Amino acid sequence: MDSALIPEGAKRCSFPKFAIGIAIVSAVVLWGVFAMFLCWFKGLNQTNMNDYYGFALWIWADLAVIAVGGGAFFTGLLRYIFKIDELKNIINFAVIIGFICYSSALLILAIDIGQPLRGWFIFWHANVHSMLTEVAFCLSAYFAVLTIEFIPNILENRQANKVPFFHHLAHNMHGVMAVFAATGAFLSFFHQGSLGGVAGVLYGRPFAVREGLLIWPWTFFLFTWSAAAFGPCFTLLVTKITETVTGKKLVKDNVVHLLAKISGWMIVTYIIAKIIDTIYWALVTAPSLGFTLSHFYSNNGFYGYWILITEIVLCGVVPGAILIMKSTRENPRLRLIAIILGVIGVCLNRWVMVLQIMAVPVMSFDTWALYFPSWQEIATTILPVAYGIILIAVAYRYLPVFPQEQELNTIEPVAEAE
Amino acid sequence: MKVDRRSFLGLGLGAVAGVAVSPVGIKLTDDSSIWTQNWPWTPVPIDGEVTYENSVCSLCPGSCGLSIRKIDDRPVKIEGLAEHPVNDGGACLHGIAGLQYLYDPARVKTPLKKNGDKFEKISWDDAIALVAGKLVDIRKSGSPEKLACIADKEQGSVSGLFQRLLKTFGSPNFYTMPSLESYLEVTAEALHGEGMTIGFDLENSDFVLSFGAGIIEGWGSPVNCFKANASRRARHAKLYQIESRLSNTAANADKWIPIKPGTEADLALGICAVILKNNLFNGGATANFRGGFNKLAIMIQKDYAPSKTAEITGVKASDIEKIATLFAKAKMPVAVFGKGRGDGAQSLKELAAVHTLNCLVDNINKEGGAFVQPQSEYLEFPDESMDSIADAGFSKNKAGRYVNQLIEKVNESSKPVVEALFVYNANPCYSLHDSKSVKQAIGKIPFVVSFSSFLDETAKEADIILPSHTFLERLEDVPSCAGLAKSVVGLTKPVIDPVFDTKHAGDAVILIAKALEGSIAQNFEWETYDECLESVAGGIWDSLSEDGYAIISEGAPSGSVAVNVSFLADNPATIQAQGDYELTLIPIDNMRLINAGIAASPFAIKTVSDKVLKGSDIVVEINPLTAKGLKDRGYATLTTPMGTARVMINLNEGMMPGIIGMVEGLGHTFDNKYVSNKGINVNDLIGPVIESGSGLDAAFGIKVKISKA
Amino acid sequence: MKQNNNKAHKFGMVIDLDKCTGCGSCMVSCMSENNVPFKEDESNKKDSITWMSVYKLTNGKSFPDTQIVYMPRPCQHCGGKGDHGHSPCVSVCPAVATDYGYDTGIVSQIYTRCFGCRYCMGACPYHARYFNWWDPKWPEGMENYLSPDVSPRMRGVVEKCSFCYHRYQAARDIAYYEGRDDIEEHEYQTACTTACPAGAIVFGDLNNPAHQVHQIVKPDPHPDPRNKHVVGKSRNPKVFRLLERLGTNPKIYYLSEREWVRKAGDNYLDGEWDKIKNYHGATLSND
Repeated sequence: MDSALIPEGAKRCSFPKFAIGIAIVSAVVLWGVFAMFLCWFKGLNQTNMNDYYGFALWIWADLAVIAVGGGAFFTGLLRYIFKIDELKNIINFAVIIGFICYSSALLILAIDIGQPLRGWFIFWHANVHSMLTEVAFCLSAYFAVLTIEFIPNILENRQANKVPFFHHLAHNMHGVMAVFAATGAFLSFFHQGSLGGVAGVLYGRPFAVREGLLIWPWTFFLFTWSAAAFGPCFTLLVTKITETVTGKKLVKDNVVHLLAKISGWMIVTYIIAKIIDTIYWALVTAPSLGFTLSHFYSNNGFYGYWILITEIVLCGVVPGAILIMKSTRENPRLRLIAIILGVIGVCLNRWVMVLQIMAVPVMSFDTWALYFPSWQEIATTILPVAYGIILIAVAYRYLPVFPQEQELNTIEPVAEAE
Repeated sequence: MKVDRRSFLGLGLGAVAGVAVSPVGIKLTDDSSIWTQNWPWTPVPIDGEVTYENSVCSLCPGSCGLSIRKIDDRPVKIEGLAEHPVNDGGACLHGIAGLQYLYDPARVKTPLKKNGDKFEKISWDDAIALVAGKLVDIRKSGSPEKLACIADKEQGSVSGLFQRLLKTFGSPNFYTMPSLESYLEVTAEALHGEGMTIGFDLENSDFVLSFGAGIIEGWGSPVNCFKANASRRARHAKLYQIESRLSNTAANADKWIPIKPGTEADLALGICAVILKNNLFNGGATANFRGGFNKLAIMIQKDYAPSKTAEITGVKASDIEKIATLFAKAKMPVAVFGKGRGDGAQSLKELAAVHTLNCLVDNINKEGGAFVQPQSEYLEFPDESMDSIADAGFSKNKAGRYVNQLIEKVNESSKPVVEALFVYNANPCYSLHDSKSVKQAIGKIPFVVSFSSFLDETAKEADIILPSHTFLERLEDVPSCAGLAKSVVGLTKPVIDPVFDTKHAGDAVILIAKALEGSIAQNFEWETYDECLESVAGGIWDSLSEDGYAIISEGAPSGSVAVNVSFLADNPATIQAQGDYELTLIPIDNMRLINAGIAASPFAIKTVSDKVLKGSDIVVEINPLTAKGLKDRGYATLTTPMGTARVMINLNEGMMPGIIGMVEGLGHTFDNKYVSNKGINVNDLIGPVIESGSGLDAAFGIKVKISKA
Repeated sequence: MKQNNNKAHKFGMVIDLDKCTGCGSCMVSCMSENNVPFKEDESNKKDSITWMSVYKLTNGKSFPDTQIVYMPRPCQHCGGKGDHGHSPCVSVCPAVATDYGYDTGIVSQIYTRCFGCRYCMGACPYHARYFNWWDPKWPEGMENYLSPDVSPRMRGVVEKCSFCYHRYQAARDIAYYEGRDDIEEHEYQTACTTACPAGAIVFGDLNNPAHQVHQIVKPDPHPDPRNKHVVGKSRNPKVFRLLERLGTNPKIYYLSEREWVRKAGDNYLDGEWDKIKNYHGATLSND
């Protein structure tokens, strides 16, 4: 039915099967869209946020998807700037994942703000002192870059590519992609950093505040570094999931191993920095404001030392160690565990840097505040996941996302057109 | 031209591109944000000329001066009036929120008549005719005394008009709700003779010994008391607070003396005992004592020796001695009674015992002490002319001395004790103990007329509602009846035209009287209430209308007064809480709530802590030791002899073990979702306990058990 | 204009916690003055808009040694680190919807500019900022009491105490009209200050030695040598600020005779309080 659109030589499931799958996921999307409209029309009273939790699940989701979407800029940087050629076999997919992540982030932001129709004030009335302003500019610009990076892949669709203009455009865009990759890396450095800065500059919040370099708190660099470190984990994870779902090998092991190795070393270096940062904060920064470490991890029903240990050791040190050692890295099972732990780790870090900040009492007579999201918040947070699944499914079906796909899968005769 | 797919597509793309580069998008973006800045459903207050008008608050007996800011005809803000003799600038939250009462969803907007279970609108003319018709029938039946009236107070011209109506109608059955002023008069009557009242010079006293008086909880004239308290440190004055829980007053005091609830009278007598034993009293003052001073002295020394008193009250003997010494040796000591706001249940034993302390140290009519003087009579109503029916009816005995006795009699009697009842500025179905039986009594009365501005608990039981103006819509004299050292009458003025089809209660009374014709009508010859006020306020009218207030008396009255101690000398029994349970439930007065008939405003309710009210659950205070297995913020069931209630728990170290505190002023059932159906009315759980010698309802609390819900 | 030539004001407040009775007048006066809405259930204090909020503090001891104190908490109008105007909230607002008035020291909030990102709320450790989770609604007829001095806020924006800025504008207008350079102390007082029945709140210009607030606070104009971010520390031993150590430099000062109350104003490591409790500004000994 849609075989004319399917890349030449690729085998895809039947259209009805595909359509049913999409329909199921679309139901989830609709649920999310319904919640989204509730939030827009009735206001943010639809959420369980409150004056203690102005930032909550959505901001975490934003930070998390941008962190795991960091695979796009970092892979692009490695591929185009550092000329690590093998990565061309995964760059398309990294870009698509990045595109999904960043478009999701923008969508969530559009729901999260109290006055969505005035959201553009962030550009018009920009406050250069605010980390959020920097985030908004760089994030929007980088999303444009991602779109540009995604376009050639779209144009490589069998039908689109037949149009000579599109064919040449795609070709030429590939040629200049290094420029965009560089731009993307630059922008990402700043907005990933700024997202870290969002927490780090909160000098009214001893749990968040960090010293730093010039105007940039250490969290600025930690966030950039962690996005670069864990982003590829997410790219690999989604690749693995796609391979499992399609039942096909799509990327060669050497490419996976290479990206995993790079990710591993990034994680190790990041986690060392993070440990130093945590120790300095716990022993110097917080005490100078009158707080002991235990203040942040006791007297409440949820946040204990477990979260610190899970984030840093279990989901930082462990995956880093697995990925830097050849034997463990090349063991598919251990590698999978490592990339899953890595993704959890970076998400947990973002959670801590958004929600735990809000939970910790600062005034001596204040109390811990715990929060659980409303279904509307949960639905709108799942919405991008469902949308991502659809976009990946469509892209995989109709675009030559994985250059090694055909080589890795025995070519069978193209199914007869109906 | 042939329109094929290609050109159609091209045209479409071109159009999209054209719109994209045109200013349409920018314009729409801009317009939509401007729209959000001017949402039609977000009100925009109209601007206008700013003016200020002065008035007086009558939400509580405090009678504070108010300054009302207006924009054209709209009052927009109430503030305290600077240099007013009562409050000099500040105002309490209820007064400041006064404008919310104007537009209260629970206001009665027109006269209402009950038909079955429902109220229906009627005209003022019909309503007055209906009331008058009913009254004529009662009079014709020959028992005019079966018309009764419950008002908030005796003082003031509107209350005066009600009393005049009852008297000329032929009924002695005029009652007031318990208030600090009524207790002051009861106390003064018992110790000094009829027609007297007491004021406390808190602003000047250097040692205030408070027996649970919530000096910063709304006792007396709240703002005046706040100011006296705030100046305490600068004056090097001390406040000792005797109370079973750490109230705000106790917390602010120089010393908090926790005491077993209900034993304040015993402690006061115990302190008397030390003063007597150690000869700390003023010999000259005791010369004024009548009614068996020696008998009293012997009794006190015998029954209230420090060790004995300590056992009864839980206050250490050494502390009793210390307090007695400090009190007696202070230059200007004053002992203050009236637990909480002073308008809840009190026993005469306690009132008299505390005031005897004042008498013993001879601070009566001295600066910083207690002022005992005749009740101020600033109004001059013309003498009543009464016909024979009125004379006969009025000379009969009242159904009871206090309103709770009236209620009891109505409930007990099989024949109607009261045929018709007027209720003005009072909400007995909410404010009296055992509100269920009060409602039952009111229900038994064949014809109940409410003059309430709001459809409150009592108005709901009425047959006719003749809605009054709120205090912002009416002219009225407002005497300060709150134990103030000075006696001030303020003038409430209308600052806005009536919002609804309401009338001044004074006008309604005059209209009823006129409709009754004959000798009754002759006593009400004023055209309007305003005219009446001007004429009866005669002597002070100029001052009232020009300054907004008149000071009737100020400073220490001259002369000494006799002290009759016969009531105490008989050693009346101390009131015990009703029931056999282990714990005691006591009501708590909270400044942010109102425990009289009206509900606190939405603003005031908004300020109430979530440790007092959470959602629709009332939160009770209990010491962790007493709570045993109960968790903070968990639910529990309270059971008293009067009923049960589901409550939330607040573990509070400021509570004496063995007691449970429940706030007063919640659990209203008005048609106002912002203030009603929140928590429960503590008066539902506490029943009256009548003190034998005085007839007062003296239930300071009730025995209670608590279990996990 | 003439009035702009004056030395900058620094409006601030000192609240006597020993006088405060916790009565709530300041809260209601603020709500009434500033058209703050109310809703059916306001018992969830985490979504209840109270520009002026009153905290109840206890000394944590058990019966009968328990003590309590009430602490009114308006917006602290932080001067930010070094008192340079980079308040925690102002510095993070992406759209300059909240700003620091260098001529008044007041942290403003422009409701029509705010697009509701709530970053400022996260930045404020005092919880002085409130979000309009709902459209404001008044019962029928009650809109009639709304004041035109302060516009009611639409849902989806943040609001907070403005030190009754409209009162400052009104006072300035009168002064200007009467040809005066500046306003008098009594001409500009916030709604909470004038309402307080106990007279516990004193408001005025911290920069003006003639003003009562300056005389009580005696602010140290120099940075605290122990913490360079702190400026304006009180040299009155009974006066403290909330979370002073963070360097937010609030313009709300608190006064209490009780040591445990002063200690509750900030966070201290074990033993730290005893070391610094008698330290009241660098220049005190030089005075």
